Amino acid sequence: MFNYILKRIAQSGLVLLVVGFVAFSMFRFVGDPIDNMLGQERTQEDVERLRGELGLDLSFPVQYGRFLMDAIQGDFGVSYRQGRPVADIMAERAPATLELAAVSATLAISIGIVLGVFTAIRRDGWIASLIMTTSLIGVSLPTFLIGIVLIYVFSVHLGWFPSFGRGDVVQLGFWTTGFLTKSGLLALILPSITLGLYQMTLIMRLVRSEMLEVLRQDYVRFARARGLSERVVNFRHALKNTLVPVITVTGLQLGSIIAFAIITESVFQWPGLGLLFINAIQFVDIPVMAAYLMLISVMFVTINLMVDLLYVFIDPRLRKGGL
Amino acid sequence: MSATFKANNPFGESILKRIIYPALILAVTTSAHAATLKWAGTTDPQTMDPHAVISTPVLGFLNNIYEGLVRRGKDMAIESALATSWEPIGEGKGWRFHLREGVIFHNGATFDADDVVFSYQRASAESADTKGWFAPISEVKKVDAYTVDFLTKAPNPLFPDSIANWMIMDADWAKSVGAVTPNKDEGNAATLNANGTGAYQLKKRQPGLETTLAKHNDWWGEDIGNITEATFTPIKNPATAVAALLAGNVDMINPVPIQDAARLEKNTQIKVFKGIEARVIMLGFAQQADVLKYGLDQGKPNPFLNVKVREAVAKSISVPAILRTIMRGNAQPASQLVSPAMRGFSSVNSDRPDFDVKGAKELLAEAGYPNGFSFGLKCPNDRYLNDEAVCQAVTAMLAKVGIKAELDAMPVRSYWPELRQDNFDMYLLGWSPGTFDHEHPIRFLASTPNPEKKLGSWNFGDYSNARIDELLPMIQAEIDDNKRQEMLDEVTDIYQDEYAYVPLYIHPLVWGTRSNVTLTQRPDNFFILRWASIN
Amino acid sequence: MLKIRLSNRLSTMLQSDFIWHLSRSPIAIISLLVVLLLVFSAVFAPWIAPFNPYDPASLDLMNGFTPPITANDFTSQTFLLGSDDQGRDVLSTILYGMRISLFVGFVAVLFAMVLGVSLGLIAGYLGGWVDTLIMRIADVQLTFPSILVAMLIFGIAKGITPVEYRDQMAIWVLIIAIGLSDWVQFARVVRGATLVEKNREYVLAAQLIGQPTPIIMLRHILPNVLSSVLVIATISLALAIIAEATLSFLGVGAPPTQPSLGTLIRIGQGFMFSGEWWILLFPACTLLALALSVNLLGDWLRDTLNPKLR
Repeated sequence: MFNYILKRIAQSGLVLLVVGFVAFSMFRFVGDPIDNMLGQERTQEDVERLRGELGLDLSFPVQYGRFLMDAIQGDFGVSYRQGRPVADIMAERAPATLELAAVSATLAISIGIVLGVFTAIRRDGWIASLIMTTSLIGVSLPTFLIGIVLIYVFSVHLGWFPSFGRGDVVQLGFWTTGFLTKSGLLALILPSITLGLYQMTLIMRLVRSEMLEVLRQDYVRFARARGLSERVVNFRHALKNTLVPVITVTGLQLGSIIAFAIITESVFQWPGLGLLFINAIQFVDIPVMAAYLMLISVMFVTINLMVDLLYVFIDPRLRKGGL
Repeated sequence: MSATFKANNPFGESILKRIIYPALILAVTTSAHAATLKWAGTTDPQTMDPHAVISTPVLGFLNNIYEGLVRRGKDMAIESALATSWEPIGEGKGWRFHLREGVIFHNGATFDADDVVFSYQRASAESADTKGWFAPISEVKKVDAYTVDFLTKAPNPLFPDSIANWMIMDADWAKSVGAVTPNKDEGNAATLNANGTGAYQLKKRQPGLETTLAKHNDWWGEDIGNITEATFTPIKNPATAVAALLAGNVDMINPVPIQDAARLEKNTQIKVFKGIEARVIMLGFAQQADVLKYGLDQGKPNPFLNVKVREAVAKSISVPAILRTIMRGNAQPASQLVSPAMRGFSSVNSDRPDFDVKGAKELLAEAGYPNGFSFGLKCPNDRYLNDEAVCQAVTAMLAKVGIKAELDAMPVRSYWPELRQDNFDMYLLGWSPGTFDHEHPIRFLASTPNPEKKLGSWNFGDYSNARIDELLPMIQAEIDDNKRQEMLDEVTDIYQDEYAYVPLYIHPLVWGTRSNVTLTQRPDNFFILRWASIN
Repeated sequence: MLKIRLSNRLSTMLQSDFIWHLSRSPIAIISLLVVLLLVFSAVFAPWIAPFNPYDPASLDLMNGFTPPITANDFTSQTFLLGSDDQGRDVLSTILYGMRISLFVGFVAVLFAMVLGVSLGLIAGYLGGWVDTLIMRIADVQLTFPSILVAMLIFGIAKGITPVEYRDQMAIWVLIIAIGLSDWVQFARVVRGATLVEKNREYVLAAQLIGQPTPIIMLRHILPNVLSSVLVIATISLALAIIAEATLSFLGVGAPPTQPSLGTLIRIGQGFMFSGEWWILLFPACTLLALALSVNLLGDWLRDTLNPKLR
């Protein structure tokens, strides 16, 4: 087991290095950094000075090393579009995305598991069929379309929820939260549903298929034969074993929620990292793109690592080593 | 029971009476007078520096924070602001301004002549976009703490009219934060911070996200509504902005997308303010470049050097179609660089070229392009109402006569630098004359570019005509209106015959507010907060 | 002789289990028909579309915002599904737009499939460090959701390409971006199946008689993993179509001069409230119908081809 953990950590480190390399290459090779940073009225002295500052006269590995060192300390350079340090901008926008992701994930997991179990247990009922059909539509509808429809129905026609932005936020130290104000909470609802719907349908269908698989296993039949009540069979035996693969997949999906937030944030003008990233792409603001890439990869790698380690603890077979 | 409570209570009397009730009363009374306004627009002001970029989103926004010696009133007439009065010096030697006493900057400093002199130096510096306004000035002298002389190179009766948007900064503050000159590319402290004398101060600035203003309690003026705090949020997507207004998330949006104006007018919870802006939307050409820079004919000789080609372009665009479909009847056709409401508009030259596809093709054939050619058209996509849609329509119309435009639409923040670097064959531009006079666009758009004389700084295509250059200073110095108009008519004739630009239409103004908001809409599209109230 | 052979094959196919299952499931038949209909109309768009919306010279701005079926009061032109803000016929634009959506979708999935299957076969069959290398790369890429990888590739490409080629390159960049972000699942499944098949007798037999490795991989192992690949391909197709629509909607996909379904929806969103509902509704319904049918087909395929659930 220890071996396994070490291997995974080493692999994560490798992933981060590779991503760092990609981010760094973007900086160096996409457009001319000097051109992007200095304006039309630059003099030759300005160009030379900036070259020295950026270290463009140094060799490639040295530049790469410097880039990584800076990145680890949180220095990602200055945004071409806003003229401010990228780290500051990202710190400002991160809470918005993280809160949205957290609420969406909670919604997706809780409702997804409940519905998944329900449709597995009562697989032949008409409610189950209805839920399954709706879920199929949920998977086929692009996220942005869901957002647009929700805004149209709930915001413009019914006026129950705001159509854009975060509402009023409260500043707690370096974090801005929308949980403490009524408008903040209301503003969270439509975007979370939009973001979480796809994940919810995935989780639901996964839980359902896993549970169906498990319910057909011999040990479940034996448990029934022993006379255990349906409830005990379903929840004590079947569900536990169902959840194991579900947890791994869910963990991986959580990472993608943060990425899919890009779409939701676009539609709802949610001032988070996703909207920042899409604006950066349209503007070819390389520092922001690179920083977002690095930040997201750190997040993903960490989540994946944790899920893998969690898997080791849950599945006793892995604990004995040999994987 | 209560006796014990009193004895044990360290505050003596009940907390309720001493703290909470007064606080409640205070809260209620202040909230009765305090009103917060939230407004949204498509373009975020690019900078808080009043001398870095002359663009309506920037100047309009900063007009709430900074002030000039003079300002425009609700009827656009010039009135006193930081200068209480002004008079000419001698026979057209210049102007003397008497400054207002007792004006306090947002940081507490007092305003005096030193700030005026510093602001002149800053605003006329090489890196300032506003330097064109000071082309007629030879020298600025401080006479005493509250009097400043502006000496002009030639008699200039309109000078006070031309500086309504020149804003005064606090000399000491600017020096202390290292913002002595504007820096529009990299930015400096003045880009994100502001210290002015206006009715509102900058409370929070998050570029691209939101900007908050709060009332300046030491403001010298009295003409102010009940807004104590205002937040601006840029919303790029017009549907989102309309949805926000309908849902009550914002109190005012500018602009209202044209397609939604009619529907919003019918909504009892919404008020729509329609007007014609002073802005003319036009197409400009690269008039000195030898070769085309974009498109399949890149590198080949530049067809726009030939006046027949430019005339063909003018004839192939159907402005009535644009007005009907894209502008939905809310705009007017433009024949010149200014709208008919501006002073100096040449009524004898008020006709536009007719929409004539056949004629356009003939002209192209005469010019040697019977099969047309391919080139690059540059456009902003977030600055003017339906700008990208207009450019797409222009592309389609030009295609009918054989000219294939490759459209490159971009956010306005990258657009101006591209134009300044001559990266275009043809471009779209909207011009609103700050002086509300025809001389303004002639100075900025039709004069041969001359950095020393601060002329033609927005003439990206480098259009040049010697006679216009000759007439301009005469127009600026002429006091007799008739003679002035004659000269303006001649200038208009010239630039129309040469198809220096193809003026298309006059930009409409459409603002939308919740029904409980009162405000005044100005033709220069400036939203002056102190004229707004929430009821 | 040929005729008999062909008809033999046809009758064999018609009598196969596959067709039998298909005929038993009305949902599968309907979705198959819908997909075929949409694909057919997209492929033959230049012939069945009443207008060519991509030819700027054919557009007349006065046609703009015409409601469905009613005649334009200025030009008297009628459009079955109405016209958009530039005067383009919505029906034609949907057909041409679907071409782009389907083209990008199919080619991207094909690209991903070829890449993923090859790498999966190689990794599974050769094992050793080749396997580790390929799987590690796959793991790295799996850490990132495909939409992010696609956006990044698009952003980088945009930074590198000169302006005048951006429109033409956009489609290919989209294909590469979506394809590159999707190959992993193919590779994993094929690798897993290969590992299983590798030890079967027929493979050992083939090795014994000295057949070269590529032949073994292609002729013996591949057909046995094909069913799983097919299921994944169908679901990937739906995802690719949605991915393309999303990217175009966000403005980092198909250019506005050659709009795909996503771009159309983006244009339509601007007119959602002002009464020109047809510009949004019809492309959105088409996209939904396309994605839904492909998904239903994929689901049905998976259920049919999975022997455990029969």
